[in-house]
Amino acid sequence: MKKLLKTAIISAGLIMSASSFAADYPSKNIRLIVPFGAGGGTDAVGRTLANSAKDVLGTSISVMNRTGGAGAVGMSFGAQQRPDGYTLTVVTREIASLPQMGLMQNTADDFKLIRMVNLDPAVILVPADSPFNTVNDLVAEAKKNPGKVKFASTAAPNFYLMALEQAQDIKLNAVPYNGASEAIPSVLGKHTQVTMVTPGEAIAQLRSGQLKALGVMSKERISYIPDVPTLIEQGMDVTTGTWRGIGAPKDTPDEIIEILGNAFDKAMASAQFKDFMAKGAMTIHPLKAQEFTGFVKQDEKTLSKFIK
Amino acid sequence: MMDYLLTGFASAFSMAVFPVLVFGVLGGVILGALPGLTATMGVAILLPFTFGMDATPALVMLIGVYIGGIYGGSIAAILLKTPGTPASAATVLDGHTMAIKGLAAKALSIAAVASFIGGLISTIVLIAVAPILADFALRFNAPEYFALALFGLTIIASVSAASIWKGLLAGTIGLLVAMVGLDPISSVPRFTFGVMDLYSGINIIPVLIGLFAISEALNQLEKMSSNQQDIPPKFDYKLLSFSDFKKILPTSVKSGLIGTSIGSVPGAGADISAFACYNEAKRVAKNPEEFGKGSMHGLAAAESGNNGVTGGSLVPLLTLGVPGDAVSAVLLGALIVQGLTPGPLLFTQNPEIVYGIFSSMIVANIVMLIIGFLGIRFFCRIIEVPKILMIPIIIFLSIIGAYAINNSMFDVGIAIFFGVLGFILNKMDVPSSPILLAIILGPMAETNLRKSLIMYEGSWSFLYDRPIALAFILFAIFSVYSTVKLKKKQRLAAEKAAI
Repeated sequence: MKKLLKTAIISAGLIMSASSFAADYPSKNIRLIVPFGAGGGTDAVGRTLANSAKDVLGTSISVMNRTGGAGAVGMSFGAQQRPDGYTLTVVTREIASLPQMGLMQNTADDFKLIRMVNLDPAVILVPADSPFNTVNDLVAEAKKNPGKVKFASTAAPNFYLMALEQAQDIKLNAVPYNGASEAIPSVLGKHTQVTMVTPGEAIAQLRSGQLKALGVMSKERISYIPDVPTLIEQGMDVTTGTWRGIGAPKDTPDEIIEILGNAFDKAMASAQFKDFMAKGAMTIHPLKAQEFTGFVKQDEKTLSKFIK
Repeated sequence: MMDYLLTGFASAFSMAVFPVLVFGVLGGVILGALPGLTATMGVAILLPFTFGMDATPALVMLIGVYIGGIYGGSIAAILLKTPGTPASAATVLDGHTMAIKGLAAKALSIAAVASFIGGLISTIVLIAVAPILADFALRFNAPEYFALALFGLTIIASVSAASIWKGLLAGTIGLLVAMVGLDPISSVPRFTFGVMDLYSGINIIPVLIGLFAISEALNQLEKMSSNQQDIPPKFDYKLLSFSDFKKILPTSVKSGLIGTSIGSVPGAGADISAFACYNEAKRVAKNPEEFGKGSMHGLAAAESGNNGVTGGSLVPLLTLGVPGDAVSAVLLGALIVQGLTPGPLLFTQNPEIVYGIFSSMIVANIVMLIIGFLGIRFFCRIIEVPKILMIPIIIFLSIIGAYAINNSMFDVGIAIFFGVLGFILNKMDVPSSPILLAIILGPMAETNLRKSLIMYEGSWSFLYDRPIALAFILFAIFSVYSTVKLKKKQRLAAEKAAI
């Protein structure tokens, strides 16, 4: 009985505090969990967005890096925090893939997704003097010699490659590297023949001409690399890429999600954030809460085809 | 090129740049000296503050933190046997032994001078032959990394002073620890017991803090309670003499060059370099038995070796546009935010930035040397702090440091676990550094061996048909052979002495 009373009082207190929170939200500092290490791409986007949003919200947003398990540790940690709007998490495409692979307990359903931030397609890259000039050259070679074309993979399993392999019924020899910073030198040094990364990850090598882009895996061409044709233009209906967004624990009150959503809209439209993303060759894709949630559901379905 | 360098020096000493450079180096030294806080963290945290700055001061500040941070790690390693970063773990071997003998000031001055020489050589090599180094770096791929890691693992033999078998035991413990987490090739969880925090493997920094800092604190605590306190060494503030300098100069220069080469290869950093240079210095030494007992050469090799990486690690960044390590990954971000394109274009489009970085690196190394020397008297005071105050402070800093690296209480548990383990192993004369070496090199060897086998479709021919890989494998064989020979000689000498 005593226990029950205690529970009741605590829950009542929690409910009251939750409802009173929304009225004067935000009244203290907000914490943004970044599930990848300080200095990486996700970290930089998170920090810059936090920086732009803090002026809109009038409260400071501190970034906390919680790394491990390809993002699983940080995102699970973020999902399990108190749903009061003071702990937000940068969610990445891994939240759609890792749970299906059995590598993460929490899923996108454990979050209320607030906004999608960026959506970047994969670009197929070869050394400047490679005999491949179009994606069709690559596919033809892979058909002639199945499993022989050496592919520098940025992650294992690699969903960019799987999308192309499944659509074209080909098989490449995927050598797993640890991210773009290892895969790109491997292609530059001719240890492998081809790789797929996002435009921002290879912008330096594309501008200097060390790498040649065979095609970009988006619906339309990308402004940073306007001369690179899409795969659709080359007769292959394959699109893939990666995305990031912001989420809050699933029981966060809707009013708070609304306040945050509006704040992130303004932050993403700010000159500082747009400038940062443009310099990093990343594409801002500000989907609202509902569309973002639908998008993630769709992506989970797409990925389930690759994960047995 | 010369005018660009001179303009670079002029800008390095300008009012807009020099203060942030000094701030960066000083901040780096402090961060590096605190266990758990690393140069990488300092650089990453400062990055957003550089968004509003001009390109040169922004980059100079970050590079200052980097250079200062690697040196800072050695201060705590020498004085407290608590390496601030994995890069200074090799410094403990001789640096702390010197401090115990009362030569702390001398050890700190040797560390400062050797770090300066290593950093300077590295910068000069970077300026002179960056494109050649870049070509070397590009030749490195999975088979070469595997061979390098294999060679690195043989260093365990030379850092195991007492007994090779105990060294191998420690190395095996390290390899076991390194196996925990998602398998690097197929992402299958290994030894994770369903614990989410173990999926990413065991972070090396809490292990380092536990093995060195906490175990040392426990050790001191035990001595205090059993009243067998060390008599505090007779302290002398003597710095290194000119003849000491002449003695360590060749070792430092050589280690600086080795460090630059290792640094220029993406993925191999200051920690591996420090141990490799230590190993090489011991191999050629006239009195290898002094290593581990306070050898100036051992200290100089480790310190020059880890700072030698600073210039080398910028090679892939500036010539290829890819980061060679975590710090240069942040620098890459800083360059991009400034609207610059890292890679070969930078030399032609923004030479003033490139040479501004080069000249600032030289100045930053000089600033580091000055801060190092000015600080010696101050740092040495730390030793005079009574143990009864110092031990709680070390434990406190260790716990904070273990938490700070990833904001995780789990890591604090890891640090405490390895503190107790280190304390027990210490009692059995099992050395700690092989554990660390195995944690750094084990995954590197495993991942790259498996990658090589995938690349070669199951064939082992990469072991002999790639010249660099073959060279490292031969080095590894030679390294084992010469250590065994040395031990045999020592044993014979000991037997003779006994008769």
